[in-house]
Amino acid sequence: MILAADKTHSSPAAGDAVQTESPRVWRVVFLNDAVTRMSYAVMVLRKLFGFDEPTATKHMLEAHENGRSVVWTGLRENAEAYVFSLQQWHLSATIEPDEAS
Amino acid sequence: MKRVEVRLSIQAVAPLLDLIKAVADELRATLAVPLALSEADAELAEVWSEDLLESQRDDCDRLFSLFDQEFFSEGVVAFDRDNAEPVLRACAALRLRFRATRLAEIPDDTLEALEASSTMGELNAEAQKAFACFMFLDELQKIILKYLDPMAVEEDE
Repeated sequence: MILAADKTHSSPAAGDAVQTESPRVWRVVFLNDAVTRMSYAVMVLRKLFGFDEPTATKHMLEAHENGRSVVWTGLRENAEAYVFSLQQWHLSATIEPDEAS
Repeated sequence: MKRVEVRLSIQAVAPLLDLIKAVADELRATLAVPLALSEADAELAEVWSEDLLESQRDDCDRLFSLFDQEFFSEGVVAFDRDNAEPVLRACAALRLRFRATRLAEIPDDTLEALEASSTMGELNAEAQKAFACFMFLDELQKIILKYLDPMAVEEDE
């Protein structure tokens, strides 16, 4: 189900000499939608991420106001699994590399 | 979660089921929430889509299993530990699909005002029925959320 694994990108110009690793840390970004009941989103965030209620509510409100909220960071494989779970609950989410990592 | 029986108005709910079923049929092949992965993850998206569609179909089937002989004779539907979460997810998927299709022409602020007042406003007959389904599915979600966490729904109000 999860294809995962960090990908290694090589530069064609540099041949085999230079390889750039993709970031090791990835973000799970929870995206807002205008339809889903707030209490439903909070319940799902608590269930999937183990947040307490204030933390889940904070992420829900951040997504509601800014369109997105970073709810988790870590290995890409785990981040993908979280996004899949959010999608199963019909909450929109994506992953993005944490450039600071 | 103990078994919870809810009595619904057969007269109010039964006429909505055909439209909810039609929308559920669309969800057999279409995700309620399109995947938001980048183009680089196309292969991942393809694999996920199949699994997510299967999950979505199962959830909708669980929702429709509520409307059995007991519902049509007594107006009663029952939630328990096994079906509460699948039905909750099915309601979420169906509401998103209603919004994206049958209620797509209604601006967000108008829909919010309609939800707050629970009136049909100036909607045409087709949109009125879709809106009634949209609100009914919301009520089902509220009932389930209330039993999963009695404090949760109050925060929405």
